Amino acid sequence: MKHRVLIANRGEIALRIMDACEDLGLEYVAVYTRADEESLHVQRARQKYRMSDYRDPNEILAVADEAGCTAIHPGYGFLAEDFRFARRVVKRSSPLIFIGPRWEVIRDLGSKLHVKRLARELEIPVVPGTSEPLYNEIEAEARAEALFAWLSENGEEDPRLLIKAAAGGGGMGIEEVRELDEVRPVFRRVRAYAKRLFGDEGVVIEARLRRFQHLEVQLLGTPKGELVHFGTRNCTIQSPGRQKRIELAPGFDPRFKNYTFDAQALEEEIISHSLKLAEAVEYDSVGTWEWLVTPEGKAYLLEVNTRIQVENEVTARIARIRGKEVNLLREQIRVALGEGLGYVQKDITFEGTALELRLVAEDTERGFRPLSGVIERFTFSEAPWLTVRTHVPRDRSYHIPTEYDPNLALAIIWGRDTQEVLARAREFLGSVVIQGRTARGDPLVTNVPYLQEKLAEVYEFRS
Amino acid sequence: MSELYQELIDLWERAVYLRDIKGEDFEDILEVVQHLEDLRHRFYEESPAGMRERLRSLHSKIHELEDLAARTLTPYEIVKIVRHPQRFTLLDILENVYDSYTELGGEGEINIDPAVVVARAMISRRVGDRVYLHQVMVIGHEKGHGEEFRQGGSAKPWGNEKALRYMRLAETEGIPIHFYIFTPGAYPIEDYPGAAQQIARNLYTMAKLKVPMVSFISEGGSGGAEAIGLTDFRLMASRGYYSVISPEGAAAIEAKLREGRPPRELVERCARNLRLTAEDNLRLGTVDRIVPEPPLGARRRDYAFFRRLRYEMIRATDEVVLHTRSLRTFRKYLLSRKDGQEELPEEFAIYVNWELSEDEKEVLLENRSRKYREMGRWAVCGEASRLKTFLEKGHDLGTKVFHGLRYGVFRHSQRAFRRMFEELREESSAFLKPVTDPVKSVYNLIAGKKRRPPRVVSLVERLEEPEELYVSPLALEDRTVTCPNAETHGCPDLWVPDLYGEFCGVCPNCGYHFPLEYQWYINNLFDRGSVREFNEGISSGNPLNFEGYAEKLAEARQRTGCNSAMLTFEACIGGLSVIVAMLIADFRQGTVGVAEGEKFIRACDRARITRRPLLALVHTTGGIRIHEGTLGVIQMPRCTMAVREYVDSGGLYLVVYDNNSYAGPVASFLGAAPYQFALRSTRLGFAGPRVIHETTGKPVPPDYHSAENALRRGHIQGIWDRRELRLKLYEALLTMGGPNLYYR
Repeated sequence: MKHRVLIANRGEIALRIMDACEDLGLEYVAVYTRADEESLHVQRARQKYRMSDYRDPNEILAVADEAGCTAIHPGYGFLAEDFRFARRVVKRSSPLIFIGPRWEVIRDLGSKLHVKRLARELEIPVVPGTSEPLYNEIEAEARAEALFAWLSENGEEDPRLLIKAAAGGGGMGIEEVRELDEVRPVFRRVRAYAKRLFGDEGVVIEARLRRFQHLEVQLLGTPKGELVHFGTRNCTIQSPGRQKRIELAPGFDPRFKNYTFDAQALEEEIISHSLKLAEAVEYDSVGTWEWLVTPEGKAYLLEVNTRIQVENEVTARIARIRGKEVNLLREQIRVALGEGLGYVQKDITFEGTALELRLVAEDTERGFRPLSGVIERFTFSEAPWLTVRTHVPRDRSYHIPTEYDPNLALAIIWGRDTQEVLARAREFLGSVVIQGRTARGDPLVTNVPYLQEKLAEVYEFRS
Repeated sequence: MSELYQELIDLWERAVYLRDIKGEDFEDILEVVQHLEDLRHRFYEESPAGMRERLRSLHSKIHELEDLAARTLTPYEIVKIVRHPQRFTLLDILENVYDSYTELGGEGEINIDPAVVVARAMISRRVGDRVYLHQVMVIGHEKGHGEEFRQGGSAKPWGNEKALRYMRLAETEGIPIHFYIFTPGAYPIEDYPGAAQQIARNLYTMAKLKVPMVSFISEGGSGGAEAIGLTDFRLMASRGYYSVISPEGAAAIEAKLREGRPPRELVERCARNLRLTAEDNLRLGTVDRIVPEPPLGARRRDYAFFRRLRYEMIRATDEVVLHTRSLRTFRKYLLSRKDGQEELPEEFAIYVNWELSEDEKEVLLENRSRKYREMGRWAVCGEASRLKTFLEKGHDLGTKVFHGLRYGVFRHSQRAFRRMFEELREESSAFLKPVTDPVKSVYNLIAGKKRRPPRVVSLVERLEEPEELYVSPLALEDRTVTCPNAETHGCPDLWVPDLYGEFCGVCPNCGYHFPLEYQWYINNLFDRGSVREFNEGISSGNPLNFEGYAEKLAEARQRTGCNSAMLTFEACIGGLSVIVAMLIADFRQGTVGVAEGEKFIRACDRARITRRPLLALVHTTGGIRIHEGTLGVIQMPRCTMAVREYVDSGGLYLVVYDNNSYAGPVASFLGAAPYQFALRSTRLGFAGPRVIHETTGKPVPPDYHSAENALRRGHIQGIWDRRELRLKLYEALLTMGGPNLYYR
């Protein structure tokens, strides 16, 4: 059967899905909104439909039926991790293929508490804290007291806890406490917030780790039960809003930095833990296992992302299957449409270091405020080691829509080792020109200076 | 001359009355009225002798017509008699039946509610050559011969509240209360204290008011009548009516009219079917005695009737009082001998003091409870065979003894012992504190203070969700629905399998609750497999032989597989056993009749005996079922009596409303609950928008009956979300209610 894929997303990921589809010889259909009319993903697609909202499942399914699609790729964000959408796609009276994990997996791994519980059962380390939601403040205080005690015993001089809404995510409903007396009022506040925003009053308490590296393990599974990993990534450099800004692969580089622990052994450990959990839930698509690593070399599982990620290409850039380059999106679609992997773990090798820079229209001086406006000029010098993923056209001016993240471009840079990558990244950042105006007429600022500054902190433990 | 004119006017009034009652096409009544009016105009032109002659012939003509009218009186004409402005009112009674009276809290129009009149009055009786005076409280509706501000005797919520206040006063002062019911129904507005809620409060209080109460019904319009109708003795005027709904209202429902007037013929048929006359009600057992009136009804100058009424009121009060006395046989005999005796005795043979001792008050309450428990019980259908009832009785007795021992005797002594032990321990530790404290602090100094995290003693455990949810059959369609709040709240369309599955029928964006079938609650609120129905055999019958009702019942029974609209069952929530009474929409819109009331009362009793919490889940209720007439109406006092006795025993009575809950049940056993909660999107109130619009003439805002407004007006205690109903119920079971629950 000839498949036709509905691309239920926008921007650069839509473009990359188109690449992958063309690569596999599949037809595709794009959707867009009024604000995105100028975007490259709209210009490139032959068959496209305008909608009012990328988040509306009714509209997307209506388009899928109208266009005669057989599969839906949700990209990242929007509906990608909405298990109800995934369930609806496969359970409706005319079912479609959902390019992503089974809905049960999305649901189970989407709940941080459930992941924690599962991890404890499999003896995978998680950040110390509660694995059941707390509803009672007396209980919360008792748990907080125990956690403070644990942190002090582990040599933390300034122990802090995080009180989070159990149903929350994306940095919402999280507050930090420094002492026990704060716990009750903060607990009550977070509980009320959780109730209002997520409809569930459950609250969790976790120890706050202050110095860590943020590592990710890239996995790929198939419905047939095959499971491979593509090594690790390091995504420690994030904006204060916990959005990643610089990602590197591999996760550790012992040749570049001296660790107090055995980096290679630790990497193997977190990969094997990740595989253990993926096996337990029979994971059947691309996915990312996020870990926190402390300077002492302790690793804790943070959460699981059941989707293709923005930074997937950093991994793809250094991974080789039988010596050939990898496209993870292509693999994801292929697997979802029922093909087998065709290779095993030992066919996968790695070469060099890759780094991704996220160019964002944001004011890093003023609290990383997202900006919108018009981009009049966008240039950079091409190089064989450089790939730029962007939906921003370079031949004419472009309005940054206010509805979505002001992500402009991803620059993926490859080098034989970390030193070379960093040098090339500096070269790229020196050459890139983004000129434009905000709606008020001020010159448009981007995070390029911030990225230049942060390149110095790569692979460092900072608090 | 003026005497003659007076005679003419009297004749004219009688003719007009006759015309109003029997209609314009009754014999030649129109001509007679016309003739009398002509005479009135030409009164001074005619000679007195000729006039006298004409009047005489007219007099005999009218007399003839009245005879004929009385013989052919139909139920609907009785309704018209009762509504006629010439009929006697409460103020006429106060003037003529009582010896002196002082109106309390009202002076004509200057009154919180002119439709309700309260008075301290004196009523006297002669025994031999002695005159005895009795103090009574008189409370009733005043129709005011058509005065606009009396609203035809429709009591506003605050009018009923006023009645309640003076009932309490009478209780404090220990004097009997005489109630006079002259109401077409309560005035249907929801403003605080709320039509339904206030009637419920009145019933709840009257169920255990410690004074003798006698009521007299002339116009008994459903809930409005019950607000002051739960009494020890119910008299009824022989030309009065007592009904669940006005014949016009019944006709509008039968014809499924949204607006406009129902056809006259249907109204007359409904009046007949509703069995609303005094004779019918006496036969049904909803009133105790009839006070005879003249054949076409008593009017404001029928002094003989007022004498009769005085006699009957005293006699009824005597009987109530005597029933509480241990020494009463002969006096009771004297009173009962008068039964069925038409002529009025000149004086009383005996004197009865109406004051009650404390013991007699207890007996009074017991008598009242028994009276209402027995009232209309004959109409309960679907009772099992004698052997089975016998077995059930034995079982009931067994559980009573068992639970009495288990939770009464044993638990009680155990609790007392534990308390004593606790007191002792705390007292001794306080006594030793000055000694132990320094030792402790020295020890801490040496050993290094180490605070152990406290162990949590939590009362409320979190409930484990049942493994798999019951999925509503509504969820089996692949389609989307639009939330009614989409325009105001921007809700995305909802996929039906999600909505009726995971979302429990609630819009996740705005919290709008879509209606769900009752099975959803039974399957999702209670522990798996814990639901055990009882008394399922009791079924609705057709006690009034209401035309067409038997077929409707059979259809409902066949479609739902239930015998009545009330399901009663035992179930567990988080391991706590509760008794549940549930009104379901599928069976005749959850209306309450004899079977429903009886099942509810039995559920109350079972909860009381076994010390279980009692949960009333209202899936929907449309009110009292009109096809069962006053037998339905008396379920209001009956069920409220059972509720009061359950609550007084120290249990937990909890009401949860869903969908639509209106009229009688809300104005009695539901509205009387100390804990009432509504699910969001519930509509809750006394009368529907149509009735309110017709009665008040004012347009009704669309959210008038919303749960938010009910909460704002103070009718309910809170609004719950269906998604967390099980949890909320569990928490309520643990934290609310009296001390006598089995798990306390």
